[in-house]
Amino acid sequence: MDNDELSSRHHPVEENMRMQQRVWRFERLGWYALVVIVSLGLAGLFGNGPLSDGRSISADGRVQVDYQRISRSGTQDNLRISVRGTPGTPVTVELDGGFFRHVSIQTLQPEPQVSRSRGQALLFELGTSEDGVATLYLTLHSESVGRLKGVVRSGPASAAAFSTFFFP
Amino acid sequence: MDSILRAAGMYVALMLLFRVAGRRSLSDLTTFDFVLLLIIGEATQQALLGDDFSFINAMLVIATLIVLDVGLSLAKLNSRPLARLLDGHATLVVEHGRFLHQRMRRARLTEDDILESARDSQGLERVEQIKFAVVERNGKISIIPQE
Repeated sequence: MDNDELSSRHHPVEENMRMQQRVWRFERLGWYALVVIVSLGLAGLFGNGPLSDGRSISADGRVQVDYQRISRSGTQDNLRISVRGTPGTPVTVELDGGFFRHVSIQTLQPEPQVSRSRGQALLFELGTSEDGVATLYLTLHSESVGRLKGVVRSGPASAAAFSTFFFP
Repeated sequence: MDSILRAAGMYVALMLLFRVAGRRSLSDLTTFDFVLLLIIGEATQQALLGDDFSFINAMLVIATLIVLDVGLSLAKLNSRPLARLLDGHATLVVEHGRFLHQRMRRARLTEDDILESARDSQGLERVEQIKFAVVERNGKISIIPQE
């Protein structure tokens, strides 16, 4: 900006061009910041995107959990748990940790053969397919904010841990 | 409690966002701007109320917003620098029949915008007939014609 336009006028209005330039700079930087936020949102920084899709596999590879690393309080999320067992024999799945205590399970598909609790954990017994894999689809709804950790176990040896951060 | 925090957070967030959007965005509403504002209102409402549609919750949210808004205007009355910071300054964009192009560019104004205001408010046809054009704090363009 040339110096004439930069200088503050006193008539007909009292100007403060230094301040005004700061305001313009703030608007411009703010716009860049919003572009970054929107791009990160597209990438899934606030949930439902490549950045937030997570997968946790137990050490022996039997339990696999597909979850959201990042989510928002008040939204619905999907959680997919698959467990490898012996064909024809039911497998038990234990859902434990603060995650499952603080989110409410809206739907559970398919219906487990047996469902009960053990301590604060939930215990399900699932039928397996011919290849010995049982898959459980859950729809979850959370009202909490912050990081919640969960563990999915099948037997003492197989545990897949995961955690989800909930934005307000 | 969380509805009050939510309302306060939303107030601050919206104030920041509209400061980024600049003052032109809220004045001289086009049909599209109007629809955009409705959508913004709708998105805000969902986040403010959550799934609590009780009378008390609505009153709490409204009371919080009014407390903040009146409080802020009281603070602005007492502190001139704060008022300047929040409301900005009026800025000259035409001086003695001459466009101040760099300022207009920063304020995202075109010559057409200013001439439109000149026609609309003063019935002027050319920029030479304008003594001063001022972008007011609310984004309106005031035209002072040449004597």
